[in-house]
Amino acid sequence: MKRGERELCEAAVAALGREAVISELEQLRTYECDGLTGTRVVPALVILANSTQHVQEAVRLCNTYDVPFVARGAGTGLSGGALPVADGIVISLQRMNRILEIDLESERVVVEPGVTNLAVTQAVAGHGYYYAPDPSSQQVCTIGGNVAENSGGAHCLKYGFTVNHVTALDVVMPDGSLVQLGGKSLHTSGPDLLGTFIGSEGTLGIATQVTLRILRKPDSVCTLLAGFDSVDGAGEAVSDVIAAGVLASAMEIMDRLTLEAAEAAVSAGYPAVEALLLVELDGTSDQVEEETERVLEIFKRLGASEVRVAKSDAERALFWRGRKAAFAALGRVSPNYYVQDGVVPRSKLPAVLRRIGELSEEHGLPVGNVFHAGDGNLHPLVLYDASIPGDLAKAERLAEEILVACVEAGGALTGEHGIGTDKACSMPLMFSKDDLAVMARLRRAFDPDGRANPGKLFPTPRLCGEVPGPYREHPLEKAGRAERF
Amino acid sequence: MQNVSERVEPRSAEDASLALREAGNAGMSVSLDRPGGEVVLSTARLNRVLEHEATDLTCVVEPGIRLSELDAVLARHEQRLVLDPPGDPTVGECIAQAMSGPRRHRFGAVRDLILGVTVVLADGTIASSGGKVVKNVAGYDLAKLFCGAQGTLGLVVRAAFRLHPRPETTSTFAVELVRPRDARPLLTGLSTLNLPLGALDLLWPGRLIGLVEGSARVAQAQLDAAAQALGARHVDNDIWERSSERQLQAAGVMAFAPSDLGEVLQSEPMALIRPSLGVAYVERPIDSPQSPGLIHLEERIREQFDPGRVLVG
Repeated sequence: MKRGERELCEAAVAALGREAVISELEQLRTYECDGLTGTRVVPALVILANSTQHVQEAVRLCNTYDVPFVARGAGTGLSGGALPVADGIVISLQRMNRILEIDLESERVVVEPGVTNLAVTQAVAGHGYYYAPDPSSQQVCTIGGNVAENSGGAHCLKYGFTVNHVTALDVVMPDGSLVQLGGKSLHTSGPDLLGTFIGSEGTLGIATQVTLRILRKPDSVCTLLAGFDSVDGAGEAVSDVIAAGVLASAMEIMDRLTLEAAEAAVSAGYPAVEALLLVELDGTSDQVEEETERVLEIFKRLGASEVRVAKSDAERALFWRGRKAAFAALGRVSPNYYVQDGVVPRSKLPAVLRRIGELSEEHGLPVGNVFHAGDGNLHPLVLYDASIPGDLAKAERLAEEILVACVEAGGALTGEHGIGTDKACSMPLMFSKDDLAVMARLRRAFDPDGRANPGKLFPTPRLCGEVPGPYREHPLEKAGRAERF
Repeated sequence: MQNVSERVEPRSAEDASLALREAGNAGMSVSLDRPGGEVVLSTARLNRVLEHEATDLTCVVEPGIRLSELDAVLARHEQRLVLDPPGDPTVGECIAQAMSGPRRHRFGAVRDLILGVTVVLADGTIASSGGKVVKNVAGYDLAKLFCGAQGTLGLVVRAAFRLHPRPETTSTFAVELVRPRDARPLLTGLSTLNLPLGALDLLWPGRLIGLVEGSARVAQAQLDAAAQALGARHVDNDIWERSSERQLQAAGVMAFAPSDLGEVLQSEPMALIRPSLGVAYVERPIDSPQSPGLIHLEERIREQFDPGRVLVG
């Protein structure tokens, strides 16, 4: 341990107590990466915060010793947003896992950032409520991380993202002060700083208390499956459902490659087709009934094969199981894979999918396609074999070219995984120098010294001179506790 | 000295950039779409619909277009931007003042519907953030920062929005509500019905009104459910104009935790209340002091975006 680090460690122990400080190398290694496992950095120190005051103390230490800090929840992020900085402190929020208040009458729940996403729903389910954003890591990912990444999930098509469901935040600013944004009321005055903070990937401060909006569980849910001769055909069905004025809560497409892998892995009973479309509808029973009829009509008109309607909760779960297992399933048919996360306008889906097919052929690597078709969020999985020299580099180039195709089609670099360190160097694909300079102004207003999660989100010469490592399976994924979406 | 202000009506982001730089160089103050500055920058000629991608349920517009004008364009494809503040403001005004109307209950406010912006800062810098796709987490969301910023951070010259299908029918039910203590049971009863209402306003004292949107069959089922459980009556949709008038005429806006509704009803003799949002438009001015920390943060953001304080809020 370097001299400065020892002093920092002693100061941390003095301020927060021995049990809140991790400084042994072996223990520090636990925190060396998040879900982007190819990039690893061991921090100088980890602080296990158990209160807002703790977080403030930790941040003040960083100011005193002039070191950066990185906030961390469950570490399930997929873009390196919680990657430590070598001489900095990781502030772990996992001990801050209390649900502070359930205000059913206001339909609000107040939580600490270390509470898991699913725990919120579990806490209110008995009263007929749920928390809408449902990232697929929801069993383990934390609300604090959801706030940092503005997490979505399969059902955000209808219900929106984290930013649409958070009404208040307590934020520890990078100077250690505390600012409250929003309240239980949705009325605020002045610029929407709450909305600005959510999705800022830990670069503007640390949220230590979060007020969430909860919703009544819909009375009725209907899940449908339909097979199509081509991905284009399934895409057309999605467009027609939207054109019919039906707001589905989820619309997911899987191509043949993914479908077969998923079927082999979990036996969901999927038909052998070129493309499978999964549609979920929810609302009042009349509404769902009517929308189901409309969707079935569309399926029929487009000549869908193998149309199925889930008749029970168990069957619905089965329909989803294959979809949710798709990534892991492809991992079984290929030694390695890289998951891309890009967005295109829905109308450009067919063109971009064709382009992905061409790129796959050009580079000689298979690409499986799983996507949130309703909102144009693609998750192409590039399959490669790291033991073949040059395969990894090819996979990375291919993944990057897919991103270029998405942006050129008027889309975005990431729909839900975030920029982090993973895509920081790709930001210039989507944003001009001036765009990035204005974002940097916002950052300076919050964090003039650049202490909050440096090296993320913005491209820096230091970062972008380096080549990111390959995707490696996250321990949580390996254990089957989380899946990539 | 400042009796006569110069009015500039840019037709493009570049025009606006030039005008702002010139004003800044000349040491003149600028107000955006409102009086107050030595130069008034108006978006009157920045009023086009740049894109309406019906299949994507998105549009890209300039800020000077009025909501009614935009609505006429979107209606051709049976779509709408679900922003319904009173009056007929421009899209730019909706953003700058974070305006909303009754349908915020279901569809959210401007900040929930905006997908991206292009802005011009006081020093003439043109910058974009977000995009025109409904799902996007790349970079900071400056669109949200500009919602409610009252034109103090820069001029929005282009904005992309998420759209919704137009409902086949729209109808309204009303339930009497005159005693504060009846509010809680009524709202609980309504919540239990779990109706996906488009809006829910309380014209206090008097009536709780609910907006039902959807196909004729689905809407009728909801009206029936409300009638059966709460004794709700089907009323004319015109009643929403009363809601708009009250919102427009309110002297103050009160924010409250929805569970504190009872206290609000006790203290306010007359108000327009959006119970699920925790917002009451009342007849007296409401002083809602901001915390020093928040004031300081907003100041620092202004310092970064407009260090010369060219823009008058």
